Amino acid sequence: MKKDILNPVPYVLGGPDRQKWMGKYYFAPRGIGFLEPGIEALDAPAMSAYNITKSAYQLKSEVFNLDWLAKETKLSRSDIDQRIQRMYKDHLIMLVMNPATQIYGWGLYYWFVKLKEGTTPEQKKDLSEWFQNKDPICTGYETSGGDFDYYNGNHMRVLDNLLSDVIGPWKDRPEVEFVHLAPIRRDVRENSMNMWDAPGEMYREFNWSENHMKNLAKVQDKLDEVDIRIIDAMNRKRAVEDYFNFKALSDISGLSELELSAGIKEIVENKRILVPLVFMNWQKLGLTYKMFVVRLFQITPCHRKAEIVDELSAIDDFDTVFEYTDSFYDIGLWACNQTTDVDALRKKIQGYADVEEVKESDVTRQYRRWVCRLDDQHNFWEECVFTDDFLLDLTGAREVK
Amino acid sequence: MKIDKPRQYVVENLKYALNPRTIAVVGASRYPGKVGYQVIQGLKDWNFKGRIIPVNPRADTVHGLKAYKTVADIPPEIDIDLVFVAVPSVLIKMVLESCVQRKVKLVTVASSGFKEVGRGDLQNRLTQYCRDNKLALIGPNLLGMGSPYSNFNCGFIPYLPIAGPVAMISQSGANLLAALGNSQTMRFGMSFFVGLGNKADVDFSEFVAYAGQDPNSKCVSVYIEGLDSEEAFVHAARSVVPHKPVVAIKVGGSTIGVKAAMAHTASEAGPGDAHYDKVFERAGVIRATTWQQFLDISLALGLMPPLKGDNFVMITNGGGSGLLACDHFERSGMPMKELPIISGGLSQRIRAYMPAFGSPLNPVDIAGTANHIQYHGALIQAIRDPNVDGVIVSTCPTAITDVAAITDAVIDLKKRFGYLNKPIIAQLQGGAECDANILRLRDAGIPAYRMPEQAVDAMVSLRKYAKIQEGLSTGAAAPKKASRAS
Repeated sequence: MKKDILNPVPYVLGGPDRQKWMGKYYFAPRGIGFLEPGIEALDAPAMSAYNITKSAYQLKSEVFNLDWLAKETKLSRSDIDQRIQRMYKDHLIMLVMNPATQIYGWGLYYWFVKLKEGTTPEQKKDLSEWFQNKDPICTGYETSGGDFDYYNGNHMRVLDNLLSDVIGPWKDRPEVEFVHLAPIRRDVRENSMNMWDAPGEMYREFNWSENHMKNLAKVQDKLDEVDIRIIDAMNRKRAVEDYFNFKALSDISGLSELELSAGIKEIVENKRILVPLVFMNWQKLGLTYKMFVVRLFQITPCHRKAEIVDELSAIDDFDTVFEYTDSFYDIGLWACNQTTDVDALRKKIQGYADVEEVKESDVTRQYRRWVCRLDDQHNFWEECVFTDDFLLDLTGAREVK
Repeated sequence: MKIDKPRQYVVENLKYALNPRTIAVVGASRYPGKVGYQVIQGLKDWNFKGRIIPVNPRADTVHGLKAYKTVADIPPEIDIDLVFVAVPSVLIKMVLESCVQRKVKLVTVASSGFKEVGRGDLQNRLTQYCRDNKLALIGPNLLGMGSPYSNFNCGFIPYLPIAGPVAMISQSGANLLAALGNSQTMRFGMSFFVGLGNKADVDFSEFVAYAGQDPNSKCVSVYIEGLDSEEAFVHAARSVVPHKPVVAIKVGGSTIGVKAAMAHTASEAGPGDAHYDKVFERAGVIRATTWQQFLDISLALGLMPPLKGDNFVMITNGGGSGLLACDHFERSGMPMKELPIISGGLSQRIRAYMPAFGSPLNPVDIAGTANHIQYHGALIQAIRDPNVDGVIVSTCPTAITDVAAITDAVIDLKKRFGYLNKPIIAQLQGGAECDANILRLRDAGIPAYRMPEQAVDAMVSLRKYAKIQEGLSTGAAAPKKASRAS
């Protein structure tokens, strides 16, 4: 028995020993962020295909698998190439990544901010600029006309660092009514792309309905129907081989196609720690989003909350779906005001007897898409600013200064 | 990758690495926390006079300067001397192709992620591509380079050294930074500096050959972790040493050091440390064994002429420092001679500048009561004597010693008798007044040190260099005994 306990079982995420390891060590993961064995650093060789694409698609659309896109969209390669380059040049699209933050050891902490009535536009602008420039805020939104004014997020290892360094500097301002934390328990969908916590086999499925695509072409004048079809196709779930053009990536880097392909396939398909996404810059298109924040009755058991989230995630019109934990709020859902029937969606949410309250607000500005800055008005378009509080004590109480 | 001898096109283009008219920075960033921002900030801060062109496919302007998507997009009417690259290793091939297309003269790659992490094949293929297209490549995994003579400091280097005689060619970034950091505070002047990193293409030998042609470089100092192209190094050094000394320190000879050098700059285990003694001997290179010694003798060789004979005199007011010195001279294979053996009348003449209890042997102890007038007189007597080849002046302050006045005397000695072409080395051991006057002496072009052994190493190196020159001028083979400093 003792020998058994001391006998180590190697385990790499997705590896052959996974079941054996779980047989010995199975316990439910605790906490929001938990470091997994077998993860890859964001600049690891296995990430090369994504990293090359991220740094070269501004110059060459052919880093994507244009043949596959041409087949799917029934457009010519050159047409797709020209449109991708135009859309990038006009800052309408940006290639971004969603890393599975929790397995890197980060908690994904979002938080709502409500300003008091009578807060002046100048005061709100001042706070907005602070959020825009605060690098640890990896994704953040300004909202208006509703129950809260900001919805910002951080990937951080230490909750105290968030409270001291990110929230502490402004939370006692007189105009702040409340700050409510909403840690992510399940990242189900972001920007219409299903994440690792999507139910069943919905991981990486992209959720633009035909209806949404048709409306999208009508409500703005910068993307036409063909552009929209291209973006939809670029995000469609498919084998990694169909996503990238490994020949082009090999030409750029000098690395072998096999090495590039094997690495990213393992990351995206097997380990499921990265989801590439072609982000549509809705601000540039003049769109806004309705953000619904749902509070369930506190007697609602966890499994029921999960069921409700699963059911709501089956609705394509929800652009984003989060399940929260240890918070006043339980579910976050948002949908495009201009392309979806938000009233119908609200009714759908309200239809659940488990729902105690729905707060809502309109998203009018997004600061960053994960770590990529979106503020081209400050000349920071696609400036990627990665932060990590690894080994840092930002509470001001650190022993080593 | 190996070369047999320095390539002419590379040596000719190295001037653009140190004084470019136009530099393109690939990976130029808009964000102050990023390397690509700081490189340009550094160029501006150090008052670089040339043109800076940011390259960034995501931005129209960087640092208020127009940015281009790629090097190839820079208008053809602009000649690009140098491209500095700070983007991930997986993008370097594309950047190099762009450089070739635009006929760039030189590219420096700061990025890591090549041979040192197991991507030797990729590094070799890119290097071969550069060679096929005669594009000189410095790096990858490079710290930076620059020259105080052109106000050029490019890379991750927070210091610009003071202008001076030493060309510092280093495979290690950390040690180069240490030397650069000390330059301002210790008045260690440099003509140029470069951190070579993995030295995939441009090799030590080519920078050595370039330093040989550079009028500001008086001593060529090389820090080596791995010497891939020995023959090229020997070739380059032998072409330089008739005119300028070359100093080398070779590290990574210990058992664990071999592994550390591989992880650091991808330097493979060589044939053993003793082998390098022979290589340096063939090359006419003076080998230093410690970093301190490397800096000390580089300074001396950069500032002073060679010591043409074994007759050198040490003037000191401290018997202890004299004893430390003469023991170390003997350990170094260059024992001191007594004054009467050097010159018949010199000890008698020097007696006029010391009390009766002084010692006119060698070291000449003019006693703790010596003032600057006595120092001055004794030093002039020594340096004017045709049988004396060089002098060391040592000061150990007592309560009555005026170190500044003695320093004035030494500076005057150099001014008045510099034409004799004999080395003068100073050693001041004591408190803050000694440290301050060491800096004054160095500013005046006199190698000055805190410890007697440092001064001895300096003088020994000057003698070694004279012997190397003699060997070359007589056509004899390099000295058979390893020219390794003690």
